[in-house]
Order: sequence, then structure tokens, then C-alpha cells
Amino acid sequence: MEAMRGGRIRAWMALVAFAAVVSITLLPLPASAGETLAGVRARKVLRCGVSEGLIGFSFKDPAGQWTGLDADFCRAVAAAVDKQVKVQFVPLFASARFPALEAGEIDLLCRNTTWTLGREAFLGVQFAGVLLYDGQGFMVPRKSKVRRIKDLKGTTICVLKGSTSEPNLADYFGVRGWKYKPLILESVTEARDALVSGGCQAYTSDEIQLASARTHVPDGTRRFVILPDLISKEPLGPVVRRDDEEWFTLVKWVLFALIQAEELGITRENVRALEDTSTDPAMKRFLGKTGGFGKALGVDNDWTVRLVERVGNYGQMFERNLGRDSVLKLDRGLNRLWTQGGLMYAPPFR
Amino acid sequence: MNDVQTIITLAVFAGVILAIAFNLIDMVLAALLGVSILIVTGSVDQQDILNAVRAGGGALALLFGGMVVARTLKPTGLFENISTRFLLLTRGSGKRFLLGIVALVAPICAFLPNATVVILVAPIVISAAVALETDFVGPVVLTAIISNSAGLLTLVGDPATFIVGSSIGMTFAQYLKRMSLGGLASVLTIIPILPLVMGKVWRVHRDLPADLRAKPIERRGFCALSLMILAVMVMLFLFGEDLPTRIVPPAVAIIVASLALLVIYGFKVEPLERVLQDVDWKTLVFIFCLFCLVEEFTKTGIMKPLARNLFAWFGVSLLPVALVMLAGVALASTFLANIPVVAAVVLLTKGYFVVAELMPEIALGARYTDWPLWSLPVFAGLMFGGTLGGNATLIGASANIVGAGICAAEGRPVSFATFLRYGLPITACQLAVSAVYVLSLSLLLGR
Repeated sequence: MEAMRGGRIRAWMALVAFAAVVSITLLPLPASAGETLAGVRARKVLRCGVSEGLIGFSFKDPAGQWTGLDADFCRAVAAAVDKQVKVQFVPLFASARFPALEAGEIDLLCRNTTWTLGREAFLGVQFAGVLLYDGQGFMVPRKSKVRRIKDLKGTTICVLKGSTSEPNLADYFGVRGWKYKPLILESVTEARDALVSGGCQAYTSDEIQLASARTHVPDGTRRFVILPDLISKEPLGPVVRRDDEEWFTLVKWVLFALIQAEELGITRENVRALEDTSTDPAMKRFLGKTGGFGKALGVDNDWTVRLVERVGNYGQMFERNLGRDSVLKLDRGLNRLWTQGGLMYAPPFR
Repeated sequence: MNDVQTIITLAVFAGVILAIAFNLIDMVLAALLGVSILIVTGSVDQQDILNAVRAGGGALALLFGGMVVARTLKPTGLFENISTRFLLLTRGSGKRFLLGIVALVAPICAFLPNATVVILVAPIVISAAVALETDFVGPVVLTAIISNSAGLLTLVGDPATFIVGSSIGMTFAQYLKRMSLGGLASVLTIIPILPLVMGKVWRVHRDLPADLRAKPIERRGFCALSLMILAVMVMLFLFGEDLPTRIVPPAVAIIVASLALLVIYGFKVEPLERVLQDVDWKTLVFIFCLFCLVEEFTKTGIMKPLARNLFAWFGVSLLPVALVMLAGVALASTFLANIPVVAAVVLLTKGYFVVAELMPEIALGARYTDWPLWSLPVFAGLMFGGTLGGNATLIGASANIVGAGICAAEGRPVSFATFLRYGLPITACQLAVSAVYVLSLSLLLGR
């Protein structure tokens, strides 16, 4: 009798357990999985997809050190996760970047990638914000008579295969009924060499990419000029997979933290001192002394201190990699803080 | 997952497979111990368990529903009745018996979930085999293998086929036009091999008693209601997803199991507890453990660089990619549950097309279905590999494990090696035929 009752209880318990398991499968799971942050923390390595080599964005110098705005952003995210987290840079050519991200080969894509509706609507990815406002421009030999885009009618124009530049060019010239011959090339190097050798009369790409390409040519700044007209908006930003809300939120706020640090006057050099001495409530909140925002994001409260200490604030990153302290010597333009006439703006840290 | 955890996971996975393959320990215990080791080493977390539940819950629900419905029908004598009729059709010939299994199972499995069909058909096969005085293990294994292979006959025949087909926007009719012939060839390939792999059964000939008649159905009212429930199950499997409230097959199985238990309870045929005790919990636990292990295996990330590697190895030559897909996915599906394998590989395959710049980057999106015909051979390789690879081993498909569980319940446990003896030669022949089909598709539709 006892054995029979035991059997009954076991059977019902098994059924209840089974029903619980099955009912979970029939319900939708929340999107925020949090796997990426846990994975980065466990292996102490952030796998960051970058370009194969583009000065100003991500470029491996002769000492084997990756430099550039994208490379520094990867470092900032790694620092936000944990002091011990290192960055493993994964060089990717353009067509491999989204497959690599979606397959989970990389945790973060920071490869001068334009934020577009199509990419967010069709792919399982999200852009965490705008790291750099750029636009598509044209580079021509200074000795040519081309001074404006309309002077390029009937010429051969070099453009990168698979980039957003290719359809932008077709749209811009097509809508105006201007004839041109596209020379579609696989890599930045090929496009640059084609322009240098006269294979095409102009090379079109994102303006900063053009400036970067020019630095690889001897006496490039003197021999080649970037036209003043832009034909597209190219907001470039870091990209993550769509299925991990926790990771998306962290990456997004790392970007905001870099901007906010500049706005608050916090630099790589003074961040530790300010952490100990500042009495400004906004500064204390930002540096994790109050508020407990780090914990809520899944990291330690001093995450902002760590990332500024590692790469500086947004302004420092820009000037070092693209601006006056770099070989590109670019003006900040739209990438100034909103308080200085630019578009860089961080929501409140409260 | 850090490097140490990756190594531990791969070692545990290999250990579990080897322990089962060499019959060192009960396979459920091996799988449970494997999962336990991964929990202790911190490789498995709550999210992994949820992912495993999400991946395997559907299959478990289908099996549970099938087991309850089959058990509900048992007291009616329906299985014995159909079995006797089936036996009469064989006229005592083992050859007709095996061919009859192919003819019975293949059309049903073209539309209904494989493992559920095995649960319903296996008792009939076992009764007939016993009456023919031959071993029933081979015929039950054949039932499982046919059920898996027949999944290729239609788009909805197997979850793996459906995952791949729907991801490239293929309709039911398009599948019939372009893929079903290959599925049919895979099923028919089995027939000439039967005398070789199941020679003893093939050569059996018994004189059936002259007065052999199907026993009448007992408890006719109860049986009629149970059959109505079975009919509801079939109809919902076929049309449930078209209803205003979409009812997916796993949900159908749970609903139907509940109705079956209600009928048992209402007719007071036997206590519900006895029906529930007879559910093959051991098989369900084993399958769930396998899904947990597969979840950890995929987390190691060893498949992640597939898209870039395929491009590095083969460039834009699609035929070698299609054949590697067929062989590679078949090999993976031999030891892993094919649903998560195929779901992971289909995304990587799309990644290959984008990396190779054969397709625009938006083709990676789940909603992108505008795939050109010339890409079909690669996806066909994936479908055939994923579906047929599971035929080789005991743990390759849920239907195999269920079939083995039913044999064990009848006193004839099926070892890994026993299943392999039947499954491996059949799978090898089927993959060879599939390769020819993929090659033909490539020649007809290639770029």
C-alpha cells in the first residue's frame, strides 16, 4: 500500500516537473540574456571586431599596438567591464563583419560602420549610438581641375565593393542624370592605388576614410584634395547583437560616459584625483561615488573611472586619433560637444 | 565560457558519448553525470538550462504527448488488432514485413512528428515481429530510421527541414517541386540495403495460423473517444498553425495528452497514476540531458568561424561548400540533436554567402527570404545532412532513443553498437545518394 502511494506521488511529481519544464518552452523568453557580459568576464577578454587597418579608426602600428578611435572604444568597453579584461582585436573585412557578430565570433563590432535603418531592421543587430559623425566625400588629385562634385560628370570614380558608398554614389549621380563610370574595388588599398595610378579620377568614401587613405600616399596631403561637398550622412557607431539587452545598455552608456566625461572636464590625467576630491554631486554620481549605477548595469560602480583612465574622454580620444594630435589633423566639426555647436550629447547620469 | 571550461565541456561531451558507445554505464546515468560535472565546473548556468529547455522542450512535449496517447489506447486492444491485420498482410514473410514498415511509416512521417509516430507504430511492429518469431529490435530500429528519413519528403516532415526551408522562404509547394524527390530517393535507398543489414528478418517465412483473425476491439466507447482524440491530434498537427490562435505541434501534444488523460479518468478504465508511471521518463530525462550537453557544446564556439572558414577554403565555389555542408552537418547530427545543430548552422551558412559577397548583408536577417535558386544546393546539403545524419547512431535522433526505450521496455535493450550496425551502413548509402542529388541540383540550378 505504502509502495503504491509512493509510486503515485513520484508519478505526479514527475508530471508536475515535466509540465513546468514544458510550459517554459511554450512561453516567450525575455530578450535580455546577459550572456555576452558574463562571457567577457569569464574569459577576461573582449573580442572586438575592427577594420583590417585604417588609420584613425583601427590600425596596428609597427610595434603591434592597435591604435584609432574604434580600437580605443573597444578598450573603453573592456575597462568598463573589469580592470583585468583585455581586448582581442579581430580584424574583419567589410562583408565579414555582420556574419562574425551574428555568429558570436565577436562580442562587439566597432569597425567604422554606418548606422542605417536597413541594418537594424533586417539584421539581428543594434547600434549603441554614434561614435563619429562622418559623411561621404570625394578625393581627387589636386592638380586636376575638379573642385566640386559636378565637375566629376563623365569621369571614372573608384568606390569600395559592398560599402554604403556604392549605392549612395549611384543615387546621387542617378537622380541628377549625371553619367559616370564606377570602378568597384575590393579594398581601400586597391582604391587608393587606382587613384594614385590614374585608374580613376576620384575616389569616394567616408570623408575620414579618405583622409586616412591619403596618409598612406607619399606627400598625400599636398597631392590630393578632399572636395568640400558631402553626399550622405554617415553616422558611425559600435554594434552589438540584438538578443542581449544588458550588453547593449552597457555599451551604449560607455559611449555616453566618454562624452559626459568631456562635458564634465574629466580627463585621463585628473580622473583619479577627482574621484577622491570632488564634492560636485553630478561629478560624484558620474564617478560612481553615489547612485550605484554601475551595479545596475552589471559592473562595478567605478566603471566610468576605469574607462576614462584607460582611454581618456571623448575629446581626448578624437584628438589623439583623428584630430590635432594625429597624422590626419581633422577638425572636429559635428563631433564637437553640443555645448560647442556639435552633436555629441549624453543623456543625464542620474 | 573561458578556455578551461571549453576544454572541460568538450572532454565531458566526448566522455559521455564514449561511455554510451562502449556501453560502460547506463546511458541516462552517463548523460546526467555529464551535466552534473558541467554544473560543478561552472560551465552550465541557469541561462543554459533555459536555452536547453527552449531548444528541447518542443521535442519533449511531442514525446510526452505521444507516450500518453499510445498508453491510453493500450487497454483497447487496438494495437493488437492493427498488428494482426498487418501480420495478415505480410503473409508470414519477413520481406513483406520490412517493406510494410517502410510503406506504413514513410507517408505518415511526411506529415507527423517522427518520434510520435514511432511511439504509435512500434507496438504494432513488435507484436508482428513476435508473431513472426523474429527479433523485433531490427524492425523497430528500421521504424525509427524510416521516420527520420521520411521527414525529408515534405517541408513540414522534420523540424530540421522546416528550419532550413522556412529560413530561405521556401513554400510547401516549392519544396515538393525541388526537394521531395531527393527525400524519396533517401527513403527508397533503404530498401535494397535491407537484405544485407536485416538479412535474418528479411529471410523469415512463417506459416500463419489459418484461423488468424484480428481480435475485436475492447471497450468500444472508450476506444472511439480515444481515436477521436488521435484524430484531433493529427488534424491539429496539420492545421493547428493556421488557426487564429496558432497552436504549434508541441502545444498540440500537451493538449491531446490532457484530453487523453481526461478520457481515461472519465471512463475509469484505470488509475491515472498507472498511466503516468508507464510514461518513459527515462527517455525524456535522457533527451533533456542531451539538449543540455549540446547547448554547452555549441557555447564552446568551435563552429563560430564556419562562415569565414568556408569562404577561405572554397571561395565562391558552391558545390564543394554544399558537399562539405552535407557531410559536416551529417557528422555533427550523428552525435548531437539535429535541431540545435541545424538552427546554428543555417545562420552560419547565410553568413558564408554574405562574407563571399554572393548576397547582400541584409540576407543575414531572419525576415530575408529572397534567396536565389542557385543557393539551393548549399541549403539542400544542410537539410539532408541534418536529417539523415541522425540515422547513424542511437543518440542521433529522438525517434531512435524512443525506439530503443520501447525495445528496452519489452525486455530487449538496444546498445549503441547494435544501433550502429543497422544505422551506419544505411546512413552512408543515404548520404551518398543525397550527394548525387545535391550535385544534380548544382548542375541544374548552379550559377
